[in-house]
Amino acid sequence: MPESVLVHRGRYHDSAFLMRLSRELSARPGVQEAVVVMGTEMNRELLRGAGFHAPALDTAGPMDLVVAVRASDGKAIEGASRELERLLQAAPTAAPGAAARPGSLVEALRAQPDADLVSVAVPGEYAGHVALAALRAGRHVFLFSNNVPLEDELRLKRLARERGLLVMGPDCGTAILGGVGLGFANRVRRGPVGLVGASGTGLQEVSSLLHQLGSGVSHVLGTGSRDLGAEVGGLMTEAGLELLAGDEGTRVIGLVAKHPAAEVAERLHRVLARLGKPVVVRYLGQPARSSADGVTYTGSLEEAACAAAALVGPATAPALATCPLEDDVRELLSLRPRVEGRLVALFGGGSLAAEAALVLRGQGLEVEEPDRPLGAGAPLPGRAHLVVDTGEDFYTRGKPHPMVDQTVRCGLVRALGAEPGVGLLLLDLVLGDGAHPDPAAELGAAVRSARAAREARGAPPLLVLASVTGTELDPQDANRQRGLLTAAGVHCQASAWRAAVVASALLTGPGGK
Amino acid sequence: MGTTTPRSPLETPRAVVHLGLREVADGARAARVPVTEVDFQPPAGGDPRRLRQLAELGEPARAEAIEAANRLALERFMQSQPHLVGVGLAREVVPGMADDLFLHAGPPIAWERMSGPLRGAVLGGMLLEGKARDPEEAARLAAGGAVRFEPCHHHQAVGPMAGLITPSMPVWILEDRSPAGGGRRTFCTLNEGLGKVLRYGAYGPEVLERLRFMAAVLAPALAAALQARGPVDLKMLMAQALQMGDEGHNRNRAGTSLLFRELAPALCRTGRSPEATASVLEFIHRNDHFFLNLSMPMAKMMLMATEGIPRASSLSVMARNGTDFGIQLACMPGRWFVGPAMPVRGLYFPGFKEADANPDIGDSAITETSGIGGFCMAAAPAIVQFVGGSPEDALETSRRMGAITVGRNPAFAIPALGFAGAPTLIDVQKVIELSRLPTINTGIAHREPGVGQVGAGLVSPPWECFHQAFEAFVEHARGA
Repeated sequence: MPESVLVHRGRYHDSAFLMRLSRELSARPGVQEAVVVMGTEMNRELLRGAGFHAPALDTAGPMDLVVAVRASDGKAIEGASRELERLLQAAPTAAPGAAARPGSLVEALRAQPDADLVSVAVPGEYAGHVALAALRAGRHVFLFSNNVPLEDELRLKRLARERGLLVMGPDCGTAILGGVGLGFANRVRRGPVGLVGASGTGLQEVSSLLHQLGSGVSHVLGTGSRDLGAEVGGLMTEAGLELLAGDEGTRVIGLVAKHPAAEVAERLHRVLARLGKPVVVRYLGQPARSSADGVTYTGSLEEAACAAAALVGPATAPALATCPLEDDVRELLSLRPRVEGRLVALFGGGSLAAEAALVLRGQGLEVEEPDRPLGAGAPLPGRAHLVVDTGEDFYTRGKPHPMVDQTVRCGLVRALGAEPGVGLLLLDLVLGDGAHPDPAAELGAAVRSARAAREARGAPPLLVLASVTGTELDPQDANRQRGLLTAAGVHCQASAWRAAVVASALLTGPGGK
Repeated sequence: MGTTTPRSPLETPRAVVHLGLREVADGARAARVPVTEVDFQPPAGGDPRRLRQLAELGEPARAEAIEAANRLALERFMQSQPHLVGVGLAREVVPGMADDLFLHAGPPIAWERMSGPLRGAVLGGMLLEGKARDPEEAARLAAGGAVRFEPCHHHQAVGPMAGLITPSMPVWILEDRSPAGGGRRTFCTLNEGLGKVLRYGAYGPEVLERLRFMAAVLAPALAAALQARGPVDLKMLMAQALQMGDEGHNRNRAGTSLLFRELAPALCRTGRSPEATASVLEFIHRNDHFFLNLSMPMAKMMLMATEGIPRASSLSVMARNGTDFGIQLACMPGRWFVGPAMPVRGLYFPGFKEADANPDIGDSAITETSGIGGFCMAAAPAIVQFVGGSPEDALETSRRMGAITVGRNPAFAIPALGFAGAPTLIDVQKVIELSRLPTINTGIAHREPGVGQVGAGLVSPPWECFHQAFEAFVEHARGA
């Protein structure tokens, strides 16, 4: 199949813009694959991995734009090149007369000296440099970028600790500071629960559930996924906990994190016990453990949210309680006593995927979490139930996160039309600022298309469960999203954990296994 | 960039600066927090080696030492008080000057590699000094080693374009009158005017005749006037000129006029004939660039005050000889970092075009090194066509240069930028980090000897200088 690799010297564009170009070019007729990236070492390796070996590739540098296209014929390649030029010409530039955007962080801080916070979402290899400059200028940093070297993270966090500053990240998905959301943040009521966490979607789930429970959050401080690893040792988790301990508006503190190292967890417990406020902890992927010293270790994100809400006062609006789990299961079981076939869970939120895998395994179900991307249309691997985090690095390298762009996930959903062995599909929807503007519409359409394909083949029907992480205040409106899913025949559960519990009940049949 | 005590991150942020993926700041925008977006470019062009070096320099202890050194450099720069104190003969006043020594602009260069205009100036110098009877003999002698060539910068001197200083030429004498200045002196020739002139490589009879008039009539008169009047505070003149539409490099009309006012009464009192006095005043009056040869040694003097400060990452010299562009760092004075002189992007006099132009030449980039010239383009709307046409472009140039400099010089305020000080002391770290070269205003010399000026425009140094200087600085910062 003909392919072409073109290198345009010295034309830097940000990755979000280039991802869009890649997607638009890939969608052209005859084009099998189109990748538009800057020629960094990582991206060149990525292209070689994708089978592009043109010598031009070796000459590209980080400031050079690389366009790799594989297509059915030369004409399709030519068309893609022309379209690329058109899209590049249409690249957003400052409106005439509008003030030019500052060309560097220093200039931006000069223009906006009041900025208390610098938010960084640039490629990982550059993020450390920018974040360091921000810290040295005395600013807190929200560091959304991933692929930041661990040594950079350590340097940043040590300096931040020294200077009384906060580094949220790297790989920090969400934060809410004094009512202002950053990254993917849900619009939740302000309230008495302060959250710290190394898990973006975990924090989003807990804060959204608190909102549904009639409570709310004072602040949400993301720390980045590696903060509780042995190397970083919880530098920013501790900083965040101290801040919340001293914050008048925070009455209960919640901590959400993935797999802390054992010695870190031990030390952290002593820190938590000394905060002087009740603490609720959710360590993802781990069952509940015994609570002590005013620290409650919960077994799920939903339990963490409920425990925190209960601690702040009389049970508030019992949104979750009015819909007990047993009813959910009974209702679904009344539709069908037991789901035949395997489960495929396609998540956008990594923490939610981990929680679901834990629930399913807890029910004795065999679960596989594939360590390579599933190809739409390729046969599914193995025979076990599949829990897939489509936000994993190997899905998102050079592509946007599924919370922003569901192309990959919807493709996988549609492919289930040709997988009669799959009986149950589990989905999550994570809403909020920065996320996809209307994810339920797209996912719903994909579900419909899969079902139609199965019907045409006479395959057994596909049962679909989903949870929606978000609130009615979010730009996507959680209620509207649930409505759209329901209309597409998707059963919405009140939380991701519930959806997983219901799924496992359906897989194991009445009364459990 | 003020480093104030950080506010608690739990307070609602007053404003946010955002870099990268736009959607990440959507929440802040929705909450009506002002978001300033940066037009992000990878630091140091994304070069992994440079990124590692920048990280090394950014280690807090090291970064603070460098910042402190740069603050000290800026302080010494601003404390310097350049005064015009007299006029003398190069052979008598310029340190290290000798009868067989010709000084030239830019980094060191041998005759074989000299460009047309520099060679032309050397030929004129040979004729002026009586070392040769005609240009052919002059060329033979120059090639044969009859005179030695050294940079003006090695002798506390600077010269525009070819920058030639020969022993019998009169030079301005500047002295640092600040307590810390130690009586430091800098030197520069007197400006010949426009058209066919030695500094652009012309050496015809009219060129030599003018130089002889300058030595015989102009210089003694100015020396006498200065003696009568006393020293002239050049920083004060420069500060006023910047508020009158000069930038001190390509526009010197205001500075020249101010100098004229300072000197005219004293000149009248020197007892010369009215005709002799008038000829001197007329010479100044006819040459809008007369003040350039004072703004340059003034800049040189202030920059010399920054030399020898360990860890200072600022530049103390930028200079070109028509073949090479050389820069020096304040922390390692005397060491040149050299790359090829670049073509000038500019406007040409009628009848000339780009193919006629010599690459960049002259010591006058010392003005940009000191924060005036191209860095003060916002002060000189009258010559904005050089930067692309509109006064907005001029403002933008000054703003952009503000990001690669150590600080601002409040003594040189730019009205159009709200009286912000001139962006001052180019920081080699910031040039590398932002991939942004200094912008230099300059005249354009014809590539052939003997022709003269053909236009004016903008030029940047070659990257080579900055890459070498940065490598050396990283090494220096490790050891210092």
